[in-house]
Amino acid sequence: MAALSPTVYLVDDDPDVLKAIDRLLQSVGLRVVSFLSPQLFLEGFDRNAPACLVLDLELPGYSGLDLQRTLEQEASALPIIFLTGRGDIATSVQAMKQGAADFLTKPVDDIDLITAVRDALARDEALRLVRSERARVAKCLSTLTERERQVLERIVAGRLNKQIAADLGTSEKTIKFHRGNLMRKMGVRVVADLVKLAERAGVGSGTAA
Amino acid sequence: MNWVEVIWIVMSAACLTLGVIHLFVWFKQRSQYAHLLFFALAVSATAFGAFELTMMRAQSPVVYAVTLRWAHVPLAMVVLSMIWFVHFYFNAGRLWLAYAASSFRLLALALNFMTGANVNFREVTAMDQAQLWGGAVISGPVGVVNPWVIVPQIGNVLLVVFVLDAAVTLWRRGGRDVRRRAAVVGGSLVVCITLIAGFAALTNLGIVHAPTMVMPGVFIVVLAMAYELGWDLISAGQLAAQLRASEQRFRAVVEAAPSAILLVDQKGTIALANAQAENVFGYPRAELVARPVEMLIPEAFRVPHVRLRDTYLRDPQARAMGLGRELFACRKDGSEIPVEAALSPMPTQEGVFVLVSVVDITERRDLERATARQRDELAHLSRVAMLGELSGSLAHELNQPLTAILSNAQAAQRFLAQSPPRLDRLEEILSDIVKSDHRAGAVIQRIRSLLRKEPAQRNSLDVNDVVEETLRLMRSDLLNRQVVVHADLDKGLPAVRGDRNQLQQVLLNFMMNGCDAMDGRERNNRLLVRTRRTANGTVEISVADRGVGIPLADLERIFEPFVTTKSHGMGLGLTICRSIVDAHGGRLWATNNSDGGATLHCELPAQRP
Repeated sequence: MAALSPTVYLVDDDPDVLKAIDRLLQSVGLRVVSFLSPQLFLEGFDRNAPACLVLDLELPGYSGLDLQRTLEQEASALPIIFLTGRGDIATSVQAMKQGAADFLTKPVDDIDLITAVRDALARDEALRLVRSERARVAKCLSTLTERERQVLERIVAGRLNKQIAADLGTSEKTIKFHRGNLMRKMGVRVVADLVKLAERAGVGSGTAA
Repeated sequence: MNWVEVIWIVMSAACLTLGVIHLFVWFKQRSQYAHLLFFALAVSATAFGAFELTMMRAQSPVVYAVTLRWAHVPLAMVVLSMIWFVHFYFNAGRLWLAYAASSFRLLALALNFMTGANVNFREVTAMDQAQLWGGAVISGPVGVVNPWVIVPQIGNVLLVVFVLDAAVTLWRRGGRDVRRRAAVVGGSLVVCITLIAGFAALTNLGIVHAPTMVMPGVFIVVLAMAYELGWDLISAGQLAAQLRASEQRFRAVVEAAPSAILLVDQKGTIALANAQAENVFGYPRAELVARPVEMLIPEAFRVPHVRLRDTYLRDPQARAMGLGRELFACRKDGSEIPVEAALSPMPTQEGVFVLVSVVDITERRDLERATARQRDELAHLSRVAMLGELSGSLAHELNQPLTAILSNAQAAQRFLAQSPPRLDRLEEILSDIVKSDHRAGAVIQRIRSLLRKEPAQRNSLDVNDVVEETLRLMRSDLLNRQVVVHADLDKGLPAVRGDRNQLQQVLLNFMMNGCDAMDGRERNNRLLVRTRRTANGTVEISVADRGVGIPLADLERIFEPFVTTKSHGMGLGLTICRSIVDAHGGRLWATNNSDGGATLHCELPAQRP
C-alpha cells in the first residue's frame, strides 16, 4: 500500500488551545487539520483517508458526544480521542462505551497525547487492512456459482468429497470439479488457506445460504 | 350757687378731664389726630361752658353782650374741631361741605366782632331773669337781633348736613363697629346740633324767652365722642393682649418643638433660638441670639451661604434647605454634624424673617451606614457562595489557557530538539504563551475582585461591559449546562453609577436562576440577555429563559428571603440582588414570557451627565 501519511483531525472551540495542540502534534511530524466547531469538521474531513480525531468534549451547542454519535451513524470507524477540562466520570464512561479510543484531561501532557494519537492511527490502519481484506474476499465470493458456494460451505464444515456428493445428490467427480474451480476463484492452493479466508469472510458459520 | 351753676361747672370740668386724657393719648400716638382734635373740642367746650355760666349770671345787658361776643371764640373752636374730628375719625364726609361749614363759622366769628354787640344781637337792651325749679334764677337776653345772625345759622345747617352725610357714608360701609360709631357720634352730633342751633335761633329771634343753653348739647357731643374714642382704646388694649398671648403661644410652640429652631432676620442675624437649638449646636442661647447665623455653618461654606441667603430672600418660600445636598452644621466645640434644615419665610413689618428648623441626623446617618455595611457584607457572602457554585466552571476557565501554555511549551521543546532546531517557530509560540498567561491572569483577577470584601463603590459603569464580563465568567458553566446565550446589547446605553462587583453579582444571579429554571430540559436551552435604554432614560437589563416560568402568585414572592423553588440554595440570592439594586436607586422585577419561561428585569437610573 502507498505510504499515504495519515491525518490528525483536531476540533476545539477555544482557538488558543486549538493552535497549541495543532502545533504540538506538528512538532512530531504529524499532519494536522484543525476545526473550531464540529459542523466545520463534518463539512471538511475526508472520510476515506487514514486519520484519527482529537475532540474537545465541551463544545457549545453540539457537544463532543453528539459528534461521536453522528459519526457512528455514518458507520465511520474514525478513532476518537476525547480531551476534557473536567474529567467527569459519567461522561468519560459514556464516551468509552460509545467506542472512544482514548479519554485525556486538559492540560494534556505531550507524551500522553502523542502516544494516544499514534495508537489511534495504528488502530485505524489495522482496521483499514482488515476491511480491505474482507472486501477482497467478499469480491471473490461473489464470483462463485450457487453450486460452488454450497460445496464451499461443506468443505469449511469439514466434510469429505464423498459425503458432499451424497449431500448434494451428485457424483464425487463432479464435486472435485467444483472444488478445483472455487479454489482457483478464491486464489488459494491448499484447503487450510481456503478455510481461513472463508472464516474471515464469515462464511460457513453453520448457515445454509 | 344754684344747681344750674353746679351742673355747668361739673360739665366743664368733665370736658376738661376727658380732653386732658386724650391729649395724653395723642402724645403717645402722634399719628392719631382724632385724639388731638378731641382735646381741642373738649377744652373749647370747657371754655365755652365757663362763658355761658358767666352769661347766665350776668346782671347787666352790657356784661351779657360782651360775654356772648367772647363766647363765640370757644364756640367756633368747638365747631371747627367737631368738623375736622368727624373728617379724620370717620374718614368720610364731603370735603367741600367741611370747608364751607368751617368758612361760615369763621365768617360768623369775624362778623361777631365787627357788627353790633355780637353776631346775635345788634344791641342787648335788657336782662330777662328767669326763675327755674328749686329757686334758681338765671339771666336771658332781650335785645335787637343782628341780621348777620343768618351767617352762623347757615353755617349750622351746613354743619348738620356735613355730619349727616359723613354718618350715612360710614353706615353704608357696613361692619358692626363702624355702624355703631356712625350712629353714636353722627346721631348725637346731628341731634344735638339741631336742637342747640334751633333753640338758640328761637331765643335769639325772641320767639322763645329763655336763656341760651348750648353747653348741655355740646357736653353730650363730647361724651359721645369720648365714648367712641374710649372703645378704640379698649379694643387696642384687647388687641395688644391678644398679640401678647399669641406671641407667648408662638414662643411656647417654638420652645417645645423637637427640632432646633432659629429665627433669622434679613441680615442673617439670629433673632430667636429655642431650647433644642442649644442642644443641637452646643451654644447657650445667649451666644446664639444677635449673632450671624453663619457661625453655625462649616467654615468652607460660610461665604457661599451669604450669597445663597440673598438668593433665597429674593424669592422666599417654604422649602428644604440644600436642595438634595448633604448639609453639615458646625457646633460650638468645632465638630461637624449632618443635619437636615427646612426654611420658611415670615413676613414682618421689619422685613422678611426666615424660620429655620434644623434636625440633627447623625443617628439616622449612622443607622444608614450600618445598614449599608450589613447589606455589603451579605452581598459579599452571597457572592462567595455563588462563586463556590461556579468554581468548577472557573477552574475550567483557568484550565483552557493552562492547556494552551503547556502544549505550546512542549511543542517548543520538541521543535528545539529537532536537528537542526526549528528556531523559526519559537517566536510565535512564545508570544502565544504570553497571551494565554494574560488570559489566565485576567480570570484570576475577576475572581479575586468578586471575592474581595470591600464597601460598595460608586463608579461610572458601562452596563454592556458588566454583561460581557459576566458572560465570560459564566461561559464554562453555561457550556456544561448546555445553555446557549444570546446577547442583545444596546450600543447606545448611557453610563450608570454603581458597584461593578455588585451589579455583576446581580447578573450572575439572574443567569444562574435562568439556567436552574431550564435544568432537566433536554434541548434548546437558551438564555436571552438584553440591555436597552428605556423611554424614560433609564437602563434596563433583562435575562429571559425558556424554563418552566414562575407561578403568578410567586412573581413578587421570589424576591422575599428564604423563598426558593430549588432543592439547593437558601433563597437569598434574589433578595440580596433586590437590596443591591435598591441601594443603586433602581428596581428589580420578574415577568413570564408569552412563549414560555420567565424574564428577570433590572432597571438602573442613568448617571446624571
